[in-house]
Amino acid sequence: MFSQGGLSLEQAPPISVVLRFFITGSIFGVLLSLFILFNSFYQLPLFSSHIILVHLLGLGVMASFMFGAMFQMLPVIAGVVIKIPTKKALIAHILLSVGILLQITAFSTSNSYLYLFASIILGGGLLHTSTLMFKELIKIKDHSSSSKGMLFAISSFIITILLGIVMLLTLGGYLDMPYLLELREIHYSFAIFGWVTLLIIAISFQVIEMFFVTPKYPNIMTKYLIITLFMLLVIKSILIFRSIDTILIDIVFSSLLIIYAGVTLHRLYRRRRPTVDGSVWFWRFGMGLLIVSLSSFFIDDLRAITYISFIGFALSIVFAMVYKIVPFLVWFHLSNQGYMEAPMMHDVIHPKRVKIHFFVHLALFTLLIINSFFNFLIVYIISNIVLTLSFSWILYHIVMANRKYYHIQRSFTPIKW
Amino acid sequence: MIITNYMRSEHRACDELFADAEKSVIDGDFTKAEEQFLLFANETLKHFKKEEDELFVVFESITGNSEGPTRVMCFEHEQVRGVIGKMAEAIENRDKDSYLSLAESIMILLQQHNMKEEQMLYAMCDRVISQDKKEETLKNMDKIEL
Repeated sequence: MFSQGGLSLEQAPPISVVLRFFITGSIFGVLLSLFILFNSFYQLPLFSSHIILVHLLGLGVMASFMFGAMFQMLPVIAGVVIKIPTKKALIAHILLSVGILLQITAFSTSNSYLYLFASIILGGGLLHTSTLMFKELIKIKDHSSSSKGMLFAISSFIITILLGIVMLLTLGGYLDMPYLLELREIHYSFAIFGWVTLLIIAISFQVIEMFFVTPKYPNIMTKYLIITLFMLLVIKSILIFRSIDTILIDIVFSSLLIIYAGVTLHRLYRRRRPTVDGSVWFWRFGMGLLIVSLSSFFIDDLRAITYISFIGFALSIVFAMVYKIVPFLVWFHLSNQGYMEAPMMHDVIHPKRVKIHFFVHLALFTLLIINSFFNFLIVYIISNIVLTLSFSWILYHIVMANRKYYHIQRSFTPIKW
Repeated sequence: MIITNYMRSEHRACDELFADAEKSVIDGDFTKAEEQFLLFANETLKHFKKEEDELFVVFESITGNSEGPTRVMCFEHEQVRGVIGKMAEAIENRDKDSYLSLAESIMILLQQHNMKEEQMLYAMCDRVISQDKKEETLKNMDKIEL
């Protein structure tokens, strides 16, 4: 039978599939900022507070937003149709949310049963969703640079999850793993530079050129950058296990990413579309922060800046995408269902609101970077209030978009065509 | 890949016309915007016509499948035509905010549509249509007018 390449009329998943992850990601963002505020008054042991913070951000915020975006983008960018998406997203969503809460409680109490439950529920949930996406992506015949990039990003995430499960079981006393520090470094490398960074690069190859009408990325970059970065991560992991210095790999890796960020900024500068909305600013700021992060990577005294600016980079791109995806989906689904009252994108989330969030985001990372030099308690507290405001702002707008969608469905009758 | 290359270059040309019109709207020059929008709308609709009257017909005759990807693409063409109509109305009413909002929607709609065509449908066309037939189809598409 002739392959339809994943094209079907029902290929766009229902809006709830995407919004449930976006709302959860924003809620975890608010929880993260409240946790940091709480921790500045009642300090948990350093190990617990760091590991909770990293996982609230990496899984609660980033994985939630990225799963939501993947459910939406796989059919479009890669022609992958996930069958019965509502049920699969619901399972992924429940396991992810419950699993993260279990994991955080395990980290703060060191209870061995909680480590076990977290590894089963969170590990199982993440593996279920990522292998589901991996199996669909691997079937593609004509890979684009984006779909191939997504495949490497998902592969990195699967490696991250498997290592995470092993470490949770080790912390719970169920496994006796001698190379825990090495595993932890590989786990973080694949999570940060594999899953998050490769996914952003893969998406940018498609989104930047097409949505902002920019010149094409150089062919050599779209063809080889992602696979090279992935291979460097694999080589780095082997070197870590053999206790060999990875500085050379780190230099090559950082240089490639800095070149990528520079090329992306140049594409955005030469874009044909004249709009200077919040989304463009988020992309530009994100790429700028990526350059700052990787340039400061090799200077020990600037390590805090490396982390802060990398987080800023990842969040900037997430916000840039969410503020485009959410209003579009509300308009698109309602229009497709035949509602004449479908609000236009600007009526769902007005660009002015996105700009306000951008300035909040800018203020936040300026404060955090200032604080990394001077470490004033007052700046620390203000920056955490701004962080709470930032996630509350996006949460409010996604919830309102969701309400608007259901309000129109309930209040009006669609035209049948 | 001659089908993919030909059609992709048309997509990019339409994108540039779209960007020109959007710039004029942002600058508040609606007279210029009207001309540029007309160019964008005409080129986009002509591109759809080339697909619906030539390329899709050839593809369907070879694969025997008229209910698959080509039907999805035609459905999406209808969606785009609807938004183009609304944009024309906004430009006539000199309604900048409404135009820019619709521009954002149509841009995402069109780009999603283009991605699917470029990465799947055109690649399928290049695979299943013979070289001679592809060249003939391109010649026929060149002759198409609105």
